[in-house]
Amino acid sequence: MNMLPFLQARKELDSDLFLHRMLLPPHAVILAGFNSLIDLPQTILMLQQQAQSAVAVDNPLLALGSGIGSAMKDPTERTIWDAIAEGHLVVLSESSDRCIKIVPVGRSLSRAIESPSTENVLRGAISAFNEDLDTNIGLVKKHMLSEQLRIRPYIFGQDQRRRTVLLYMEGKVHEHLLRSILRKIESRKATDIPDLQALSDLLGFPKWTLFTRFNTTELPQDAAYALRNGKAVLLLDRFPFAVVLPSLLSDMYISENDRNSPSVFRLFFQVLRILGILTNILMPGLYVALVSVNPEVLRIELALSIAGSREGVPYPALIETLLMLFVLELTLESSIRLPKSIGPTITMIGGIILGQAVVQAKLVSNILIIVLAATTIANFTVIGFHNANAIRLYKYLLLVLSAMYGVLGLFVGIVLICAYLGHVNSFGIPYLSRWKTGGRNG
Amino acid sequence: MDKSRQVVVMYLISHIGLIFFLYPADIIASLSVGHWSAILFGFVCHVAMLAIFTKGLGCFDALNVIDIFQGVGKIFAFFTLLPVLLYFVMILIIAVRAYSEIVTEIFLGETPLWTIMLLFVAVSTFISLLGIESIFRTGVLVALLFLPLLLFVLVLSFQNADWHYVLPLIDRQAASFSYVIGRPYLQSLFAFVGGFMFLGFVPSHVPFKGRYVVGASFLLLPMFLVSVYVPLLTFGENTASRFPFPFIMAVDTVSISWLMFDRVTMFFMLSLICFLLLFLALVMWNTIQMLKRGLPFIRPAAANILLAALVLVFCLLIPNWQLVERLLWWNTSLRLYAAIVIPCLTLALGMRHRRKGVVQP
Repeated sequence: MNMLPFLQARKELDSDLFLHRMLLPPHAVILAGFNSLIDLPQTILMLQQQAQSAVAVDNPLLALGSGIGSAMKDPTERTIWDAIAEGHLVVLSESSDRCIKIVPVGRSLSRAIESPSTENVLRGAISAFNEDLDTNIGLVKKHMLSEQLRIRPYIFGQDQRRRTVLLYMEGKVHEHLLRSILRKIESRKATDIPDLQALSDLLGFPKWTLFTRFNTTELPQDAAYALRNGKAVLLLDRFPFAVVLPSLLSDMYISENDRNSPSVFRLFFQVLRILGILTNILMPGLYVALVSVNPEVLRIELALSIAGSREGVPYPALIETLLMLFVLELTLESSIRLPKSIGPTITMIGGIILGQAVVQAKLVSNILIIVLAATTIANFTVIGFHNANAIRLYKYLLLVLSAMYGVLGLFVGIVLICAYLGHVNSFGIPYLSRWKTGGRNG
Repeated sequence: MDKSRQVVVMYLISHIGLIFFLYPADIIASLSVGHWSAILFGFVCHVAMLAIFTKGLGCFDALNVIDIFQGVGKIFAFFTLLPVLLYFVMILIIAVRAYSEIVTEIFLGETPLWTIMLLFVAVSTFISLLGIESIFRTGVLVALLFLPLLLFVLVLSFQNADWHYVLPLIDRQAASFSYVIGRPYLQSLFAFVGGFMFLGFVPSHVPFKGRYVVGASFLLLPMFLVSVYVPLLTFGENTASRFPFPFIMAVDTVSISWLMFDRVTMFFMLSLICFLLLFLALVMWNTIQMLKRGLPFIRPAAANILLAALVLVFCLLIPNWQLVERLLWWNTSLRLYAAIVIPCLTLALGMRHRRKGVVQP
């Protein structure tokens, strides 16, 4: 019985560690585990039931070891502590050195399966991932009952261990992609991955990029769709999103859910989203270019009415736009932090009162308010919040170029953005490629 | 993975970027009647050279011109490719300088010339630094965004056309082809040559089929015709010959009552300038490929930035439009060399290579 002193010493440090004496006739045993992870009364009940069953009457420990638990061979302090830390119940025999690791009745520490909170589904499966890894794997499995689905478990990190699984479909997955991911993952298992940026580092993607090289989705059906299309999916414990590799430009405007509508509407939605992306990136720049550098491009009536609306605005169009964009970005950022009950109030204040007042006070022109409202609304027509973020910064580049070179700057800016998009790739798969199952097409 | 589509798109947009500014004026200046014969003659030569070039390249399995010429001998490669290198550098200088001038003349009157040149050089350097595959992908995306706009304006440009100006179809001068050795006509080849040289530099991991490019070149014929005939049909030969950029003037006459923009020209021209930027990036990349072989001790990125600085300095040293035109004229011999000698040499080497391959299977 050499482990008991060690565990008792640990108990001083970890207040939720329990050491519970129990009799499993004829043996006296000690149960060790974390109170915070294990439902102790239920677990004891379960153990007693096991011990009373016919098979176990002679030697309940042996039965446990080959039944719901597994006997630990040559247990050391380290292995026992690892088992406890992973949430297992360790049964230590008082008489002998036997040690059995048992899957206990756990406390439920996860949400129930709920509807998604960052994306909405109008027609399609509504259940979303939650924080529990096994639940998430189950959800994906439910969505694709296929014998080709492969699930590879990994545990990353040294100090802070994190369970992760890699899912892909045998025969459908892009071979080169799978090989690259496996090579990266298996060579760097010791890396901690507390967040997605760390995961991105682990996979060897550059730190300073405007596009994350993977897509995240909260919907099991989207993950299943990605798998069916030959992409790979990573699920992380305590992370209610599936990480889909690689991410492509088309992820911004093609959604699996559209397939639940007639094709005409699917096309319509996609065109709408592409126009949304363009509107978001172009509008502020176009406004500045047309107002301050190239007013002659506009029809004379329109040019006059814009000039009229800017009458009394004391600074150049660039400053005007930047000011309003700043306020808008603040509104967006604050509405993430705000409690749900206050959110609408701020929207009202920001949208109506501030918008109206700022025009009447002649701080900005009312056409700019229209332009920026359209810009911001268009920003969120793209699929996924991370994608909306990805395109958020480009308008500033175009804004500055337009202020310097007018419409020329705007167009050159578009070329620059296109070039950047053309340059981005993950594992050699270009961001702009059209994805086809089992292969790719530039 | 066949990348023919990307290569074809790049080929098309680099030509479209070159056609509409200088080409119409040169053709209109080179003869007064029967411009179609001049366009067709240039075009046939272009397709012939393109076919010879791609045929020659096709004889080697995915090798580029530098590899092919070095296969014969280092000194041979040096002397045959040096004019091409010079030609590319000249193109860069002329194009950046000329197009900056066009931009200031047409819609950025108050912006200093050097800022626009700086913008052009900086952007094309940035794009060329990203590498050939990125350039091709960018080309496809830019084409998807801007080609619809361009076609829209092309269709609209016929608004004020008077079809009587097509006649007379031909006269003695046009039939004799005497204009071919005239200066304006030789200058007009500018639009034909620069664009297809890049095919010889495409690396082996971007495979493409030459016959698609040759096929796609026929899409350019309407562009050449439209660029010359729209100003002719709108203004008549006499008036059109007085404009420095006849096509732009012709598009400027278009007015559409239902559009919120008064000058559709601007969007048209800017699309062309975007294409041109990609073309410049491509030429820059080609030049760097040659420099890399010639001077292996320089890092490509450093060479690229040095080249950009060199181009910018030369552009700044050109004081006026007359010198640009003179440079364009001086460049003619290099242009003819690049257009005729390089494709023919490639084909000759290709035939030799193939014959050797047959002899020793």
